[in-house]
Amino acid sequence: MTEALVIAAPACALLTGAATWLARTARQADLLNSAGAVLTALLTLALAGIALTDASHPRHGAWWMLDAAGGVFLAVIAVIGLLSALVAPSQLASSGRGLVRAARGRGMYYAAYHTFWAALIVVPLVDNLGLAWLLVEATTGASALLVAYSGTRGALEAGWKYLVLTTFGLAIAMLGIIVLYVAIAPGDGTLGTLDWQSIARAAPGLRGGPAVVAFVLIVAGLATKVGWAPVHNWLPDAHSEAPPPVSALLSAALLPTVVLVTWRVLIALGPALTPGTASALVLAFGLVSLAVAVPFLWRSMAWKRLLAYSSLEHMGILAVGIGFATPLATAGVVVHVAGHALAKSLGFYAAAPLLRHAPRAHDRAVRGLAFANPSTAGAVGVSLGALAAMPPSPLFISELLILLGGVAAHEIAVTVAAALLLALGFLGLAQALVDGLVGEPRVRRWRSGRSGVRMRRLTLVCGTLLLALTAVACLLPGSGVVTHLMAGIA
Amino acid sequence: MSVLFVIVVTALALAIVVARRRTAAVALVAVQSVALGVYALVHGFGESSAFLVGGVLLVGKGILLPLGLAWLVRRTREPRLIAGELPPLTRVTVAAAITLAAVALIPSLGLDSRAADQGAVALVVLGVVIAVLRRSAVFQAVGFLVAENGVYLAALAAPGGLPAIVEIGVLFDLVIVVAVAAAFTRRIHDEFGTGDTTVLGSLRD
Repeated sequence: MTEALVIAAPACALLTGAATWLARTARQADLLNSAGAVLTALLTLALAGIALTDASHPRHGAWWMLDAAGGVFLAVIAVIGLLSALVAPSQLASSGRGLVRAARGRGMYYAAYHTFWAALIVVPLVDNLGLAWLLVEATTGASALLVAYSGTRGALEAGWKYLVLTTFGLAIAMLGIIVLYVAIAPGDGTLGTLDWQSIARAAPGLRGGPAVVAFVLIVAGLATKVGWAPVHNWLPDAHSEAPPPVSALLSAALLPTVVLVTWRVLIALGPALTPGTASALVLAFGLVSLAVAVPFLWRSMAWKRLLAYSSLEHMGILAVGIGFATPLATAGVVVHVAGHALAKSLGFYAAAPLLRHAPRAHDRAVRGLAFANPSTAGAVGVSLGALAAMPPSPLFISELLILLGGVAAHEIAVTVAAALLLALGFLGLAQALVDGLVGEPRVRRWRSGRSGVRMRRLTLVCGTLLLALTAVACLLPGSGVVTHLMAGIA
Repeated sequence: MSVLFVIVVTALALAIVVARRRTAAVALVAVQSVALGVYALVHGFGESSAFLVGGVLLVGKGILLPLGLAWLVRRTREPRLIAGELPPLTRVTVAAAITLAAVALIPSLGLDSRAADQGAVALVVLGVVIAVLRRSAVFQAVGFLVAENGVYLAALAAPGGLPAIVEIGVLFDLVIVVAVAAAFTRRIHDEFGTGDTTVLGSLRD
């Protein structure tokens, strides 16, 4: 049953992509996209449900595994993938000349989108570092096309930058994987040598240069795909130029999924390094990302670029959390992944009507949105309030848990630095929230009609899920689920 | 892996750094890929599956991808050589200095010889250097192939070789990435009238 679901979920996404590519009309493609997305999400959520309801018994197959950590990320990928697929028809409607001819544009978009989604679904499931690398790399081609979908000069630049930087980064990670493979099984390795458990079993005997080199190359290479500073240059451009549903999937699902791979590498290979060395590298990426992001959160930024730099900040927080590696921090990381995903995707969905009615918001900060359109203002308010970690946002609880986890890990200096940077980031986003909603209006009032109803529904769904997550966040510390999450690897 | 072989494939990458024309860069990376492919077949592991994988990689990386890039060069003719780059001597000096520094600093990777360790690192670094120093989108795509050839060299020098599924998977991903890079290059050329990537500089904060 579980194995059938493991195959069916990504297969459904791939088949949906193929079907939409072959659709004769845009309406057919829209319908196939929605139906396929609902089915893919249900199958993926079923997998997540199996993983989380019976977290103490991870399941294994020939090439896959289903554990608690994977379950959390699968749930996030399913929900954000579904929402982004469902909002796509209305958000793509206003696109003009695209990357490909208009007649094929919609089909190309859906085919690339569902291929990208399928690869993302499999990453948390694979029980092998080599296969995880292949899947992360496989997301690059489809997602680069999606980033440049609008075909504008900015989108071409963003897509090219993303393709170049992440491809070179992943080549470096693959070199690290080969070094690790040789170190674990010189001369008699098989694909199973790179299974997460095989790496974890071999790690204590791997002390020395090759283990350090492998770890540094793998984490530094994956960092380019996560978008951790200082190798984040593609991130603000790709997030701001991609169509909003793609920006949401990139920020809320792709980046955390690659963080999961890094987390598994840290847990499996960390024991091969001198105590503290592995987590120090991840903590360094986290603090540098926070430090680089915060000044941009203080600047007057166009809406999507503000969200992009917020992604950099939040990926930095996740790095700090997995670097602390204590139960409290781990609980915080899990809540943060889910809360960030919901809040960030809502923010990106709100960008579509905003940019349609106020195109100048693409290049400059939005102001006085509450006077221009209450529906969009509501979505922006909920999104930015949650991302700024204002109570009752689950991100407030998750950031608190991560910082307390840092104290528990006796990483006082890092905790203090992270707390200061988070406080500064909060002030920047709070200023953007006030200006964006009730500042001197820069955009004309517009009537939203059906799109306003859709936006209000989306805001209601995401807001309710965020509040539910806050409740879960309060119950999570000390629960058995965290113990299983701490394992990171089944 | 012999020192001479490593020197030859590294020299081919350095030649790409100074090559003036895109066709020359594509030809050089094709020769480099064929050299690695032939090495894989000659020093195969005595198994038919390894021979088959080596053959697929040789055809894919040594013939099909370079042919694809050559087609791309024909379809995106530049009115003139992309000007403004550093002089060739400066480029090769910078590339050699960065590569030598990386090779000197990298500890043992555990491959079958120190030359293989250094060759793998040199090619990955040179791939990145080509992408940074050369402004043409085609050169940057060639940089992907050079860096990936560095990874392939490491795989060839790994005792026992890499699992076939990983080798073929890497090739599959590379084909997709190069195909997408080609689509971008054509569109950039259509939009800007040139494949010079310095025109892609509008997104700044």
